[in-house]
Amino acid sequence: MKIAFVVQRYGLEINGGAELHCRWVAEHMQKYGPVEVLTSRAFDYITWRDHYPEGEEVVNGIPVRRFSVARPRNPEKFGRIQNHILNDEHAEKDELAWLEEEGPTSPSLIRFIQKHERDYDFFIFFSYRYYHSYWGIHTVPHKSILVPTAEHDPVIHLKLFRDLFRKPRAFVYNSEEERRMIQTLSQNQDITGLVVGVGTELPPAASAERFRQAYGIPGPYMIYIGRIDENKGCHKLFEYFLWFKEDVGTPLKLVLVGKSVLKIPNHPDIHHLGYLPEQDKFDALSGAELLVMPSFYESLSMVTLEAWAMGKPVLANAKCEVLKGQCLRSNGGLYYENYGEFREALRLLLASPPLSRAMGANGRKYYFENYTWEIIEQKYLTILNRLGAKP
Amino acid sequence: MERQEQKSPETLHAVEIDYQHVDVSRIMEQVKKAAAERPPAPSRSETPQNDVTAGQAGGAASGPGGGGPPAGFKEKIKGKVLKLMAPFFPVIRLFALPLHEELNLTNKNLHETNRRIDFLYQRLEDLDQSMEYIKLLHNLSHNIVVELTKLSIEHDGLKTKARILQKDLEFLEKREKTLEKHVVK
Repeated sequence: MKIAFVVQRYGLEINGGAELHCRWVAEHMQKYGPVEVLTSRAFDYITWRDHYPEGEEVVNGIPVRRFSVARPRNPEKFGRIQNHILNDEHAEKDELAWLEEEGPTSPSLIRFIQKHERDYDFFIFFSYRYYHSYWGIHTVPHKSILVPTAEHDPVIHLKLFRDLFRKPRAFVYNSEEERRMIQTLSQNQDITGLVVGVGTELPPAASAERFRQAYGIPGPYMIYIGRIDENKGCHKLFEYFLWFKEDVGTPLKLVLVGKSVLKIPNHPDIHHLGYLPEQDKFDALSGAELLVMPSFYESLSMVTLEAWAMGKPVLANAKCEVLKGQCLRSNGGLYYENYGEFREALRLLLASPPLSRAMGANGRKYYFENYTWEIIEQKYLTILNRLGAKP
Repeated sequence: MERQEQKSPETLHAVEIDYQHVDVSRIMEQVKKAAAERPPAPSRSETPQNDVTAGQAGGAASGPGGGGPPAGFKEKIKGKVLKLMAPFFPVIRLFALPLHEELNLTNKNLHETNRRIDFLYQRLEDLDQSMEYIKLLHNLSHNIVVELTKLSIEHDGLKTKARILQKDLEFLEKREKTLEKHVVK
């Protein structure tokens, strides 16, 4: 059984979202048979400009074939087309024009899939909304498995995607909520689909003390890990955190880990540490009172799973159905829809260490029952077996 | 079952938690209740963004832990401006509170629903057109059945005629043979 993973970007430097998800799954599945990655040469997800050299290279033991992006994305033009298709009456050709602009437009990748279809048993496409998935699945629908990594994003309602969701042989969903959303949109209940998600790499040990000493952060803190961006709800998090400090007068600090594309308030209790190495990230998590996840749109949130794996409770944005659903299923976190709920939930978690510990333990149990790599690998194998491949 | 009661220091809302079997949905019901009972602090409802920008400016005038208020003339002007703005506070509050966010969300949902309705109208038109085609096809098949029935009846009639003609021919052949015999004798 030979599998091709098809993803928009791929590389050790790309450490987030569907790309990391794809890399981890590919690396874990290579022990069951030959695995290859087909991707673009892009590194920057705004323009998709060619960055990596064309051709083949091996990344962590996996052959990776990179294909040129025919035309980099023009963000201004893309924004204009997206506005048009989201707000005005439009035809299907407008949606296709949007997809061309969305990119990464790499016809050579699609031609390769078409030409070498017989060399692979299955093509696993990551992220429904990009050029490679749409045209790739149309090229080899009978051999394609889609990992949509879909969020409650307005573009998911495009007719283009409703049709696309009825094409592949199978789906690998990240959450129950994602499955429900896609099935409601496309009525594709007859297509095989399993909720799988992704595992995570945990360090053998994590030390809160090491983190506190290295970064000079004393006292209790809650942590946010991820891109610091308005799209991730960070602007609201800052507002709510500062209001909370004013209301409750707590010594709680907010530690932010990740690249920032948003102006961070200059407050003595808000610490932005930038991007941290994996070990430091887990050290930081182990010392935190809780993880806060203000994002409105998440298809899974790996960092939430990491927090649960470390036995930490989570405070999530209830407007993100996936996060809310995960909190309810795991009993490992609370959620908020407005400042009042944020305040009460946070205060409860801070004032009640037994609750915090119990939720952390529930989260950890949930993680080990659903998201260890053995479980994830078995679920992928189940899908492949169901489709008739021999592992 | 171990049951403890957790009291939050300010609101004194009793939150019942079963630590052995934590049920997030139950806790959230109580959290929502507590949040609804305690309105947000008035200082915040004026301009929520101020808190953030105050932080950015190093915690100046309007921030919760900011420095002292500007004294003298500036203070008087501020007081007057606040007095003048007082009637607009409900409107400002409307935009500052999460209600605005919810309105935006509802607006977005309505927009989405509108788009879906437009799409359904379009589908309805297509369906109407399909229905007309189906009616035409129905008429066509009905006519074909009628014509086929007519042809079948005609076919039966022609077969009967052919049989009669065949019998006539046989009779004439027999007569011919008899007449031939008479002539030869």
